[in-house]
Amino acid sequence: MKETVIDAHNLSKIYDEKTIPVYALNKVHLHISRGEFTAIKGPSGSGKTTLLNMIGGLDIPSEGFVEINGTNITELKGNELIDFRLNNIGFVFQSYNLIPVLTAKENIEFIMLLQKRSKQETEQRVLELLKEIGLEDKINKRPRELSGGQQQRVAVARALAPKPQFILADEPTANLDSVSAENLLDMMLKLNQEENMTFVFSTHDQRVINRARRVITLEDGKIVADTAPTSIIHKQIAKI
Amino acid sequence: MLTKIASRNIWRSRKRSLIIIAAVSIGLWAGIFMMAFYNGMIEQRINSAITDELSHIQVHHPEFRKEYDIKYRLSEGRKVVETIRKDSKIKAVAGRVILKGMIASASGSSGITINGIMPEAEQVLTNLNGKIIKGNYFNPQKTNEIILSEKLSKKLKLNLNKKTILTFQDIDGNLASGAFRITAIYKTVNGPYDDSNVFVKITDIDSLAGIPNAINEIAILLKSNAELEEIQKKLKHKFPKTEVKNWMEISPELGLTISVGDQMVFIFMGIILLALAFGIVNTMMMAVLERTREIGMLLALGMNKFKIFMMILLETLFLIVAGCPVGILLAFVSIGITQLTGIDFSNFSEAYSSFGYSSIIYPSLTARQFGIIMLLVFITALFSALFPARRALKLNPAESLKK
Repeated sequence: MKETVIDAHNLSKIYDEKTIPVYALNKVHLHISRGEFTAIKGPSGSGKTTLLNMIGGLDIPSEGFVEINGTNITELKGNELIDFRLNNIGFVFQSYNLIPVLTAKENIEFIMLLQKRSKQETEQRVLELLKEIGLEDKINKRPRELSGGQQQRVAVARALAPKPQFILADEPTANLDSVSAENLLDMMLKLNQEENMTFVFSTHDQRVINRARRVITLEDGKIVADTAPTSIIHKQIAKI
Repeated sequence: MLTKIASRNIWRSRKRSLIIIAAVSIGLWAGIFMMAFYNGMIEQRINSAITDELSHIQVHHPEFRKEYDIKYRLSEGRKVVETIRKDSKIKAVAGRVILKGMIASASGSSGITINGIMPEAEQVLTNLNGKIIKGNYFNPQKTNEIILSEKLSKKLKLNLNKKTILTFQDIDGNLASGAFRITAIYKTVNGPYDDSNVFVKITDIDSLAGIPNAINEIAILLKSNAELEEIQKKLKHKFPKTEVKNWMEISPELGLTISVGDQMVFIFMGIILLALAFGIVNTMMMAVLERTREIGMLLALGMNKFKIFMMILLETLFLIVAGCPVGILLAFVSIGITQLTGIDFSNFSEAYSSFGYSSIIYPSLTARQFGIIMLLVFITALFSALFPARRALKLNPAESLKK
């Protein structure tokens, strides 16, 4: 049996719009196991980002709770929660969100230094990751000197650097051209397959959905479907 | 890494950072220069009070200063003067006969203090000779000469070589008077002092007052201000039947002037620091609001609140540190120049003189005062950074990332 990394129980996020409750998320149950490559899709306002924020400990649910590797993160407060995120969750954002004053290398090592890893270990891991994302020649470039695709690859490397339990990516390909998006997906799939890294995406992008092994569909804050995409099913049928 | 981010962040908005650096420089310069200006002004006032008027220490009969009655004179005063003169820490000492009286001319009269002085000793003590603007100092061969101020001479329409009448009470309580010829006219920076002090030779006045060879005031100038307490204590012990007072005790209003001056400096410093604080709060607040998304991202990635707080604080500190050298340099250059040239307020000399101040101010600053200003600027800067830093801490990562 596969190890559960993310366990969301009865998650709801309710906004009171002048006493008429609005459900951004409505009683969502979700289990994600180690090594999954999961896409969460749905129309705008369906609750994808809210669900991702809850799983990542960035937002507090109105009801329910989230367990990461058995730790109920809904009960964690302040710096305890921040430290938990630092050591367990990697984030990739739609608009890259690199620190503009740091170089590619510094952006990656920054997280490890926050974890108080040794300089030697940090240096080794950062160079390893830069090689993995194919940007070893851009080591001293600042974000403004990199293309959107390159910045997003640095963001993925940054998310991977502290060796998190899983990576949450909020529409990671939304701002990328198709070549950069394909390259990024290839890279993440490779990391998923080779390092068994768990990825959870929120996305509109059909290319991401096609590559995902599990696709969760949200509508009006509820999970309406939780399946493997047609392309994967076709591939599996073909294999059989 | 935190230091690296903070130091690089200050150059993200170059124009804004330069404005705040300029504000710190100007604030610091203004603060240091203003303190040096007031310090110089007060120092000059104290120095002039000590060297021209009061001296460091005065010795009297314990009852004398209550009513300035000449019957309270120092018995053996001249011997006391000679004994004091032997102390190597004493720069100058002179005996005086002080009488309250009237000066009269054909044009009017005025209440005055008649200072019966020992001309040679007084020259070293108060440099009265150096303050003469017209005429000559006392001639040892002549009697009944008087030196009065320019202010008084104008008021009484008296000029050099004219005669004037001094009237006062003698030892028996009778009115005594004498005619004196004006040998010189003096001027000090202290208008009220000039208005009420005339100088005659002690030998001309003591017999008129009926106290020949007596003195009722001994003024002592020390070689160093630092010796004041020690010498005062020593004299009190040596001459227990006398009243030995230092200049602050003799002229408490001077002490008040110093404390009012200090308060003024602190009020002005407060205004400058407040302006600086507003500038910093405004700049850092803008920096925080502009970077809401970035700070949200840092919180999301796992940078704890203390580190976010420190990052904002460090950014402010770097801005201050960048602004300080320019401000200090400006202050040192401007103080250095004005220390040599003085700042001339001759147009307002009447006003300055009426409070006993010179109209040419030479700014001066001690290392301690300089340290205090630096400390105040740093405290203000760090205190001002607390508000924006606190604002950064209140950011919610999920909300901030949407911006």
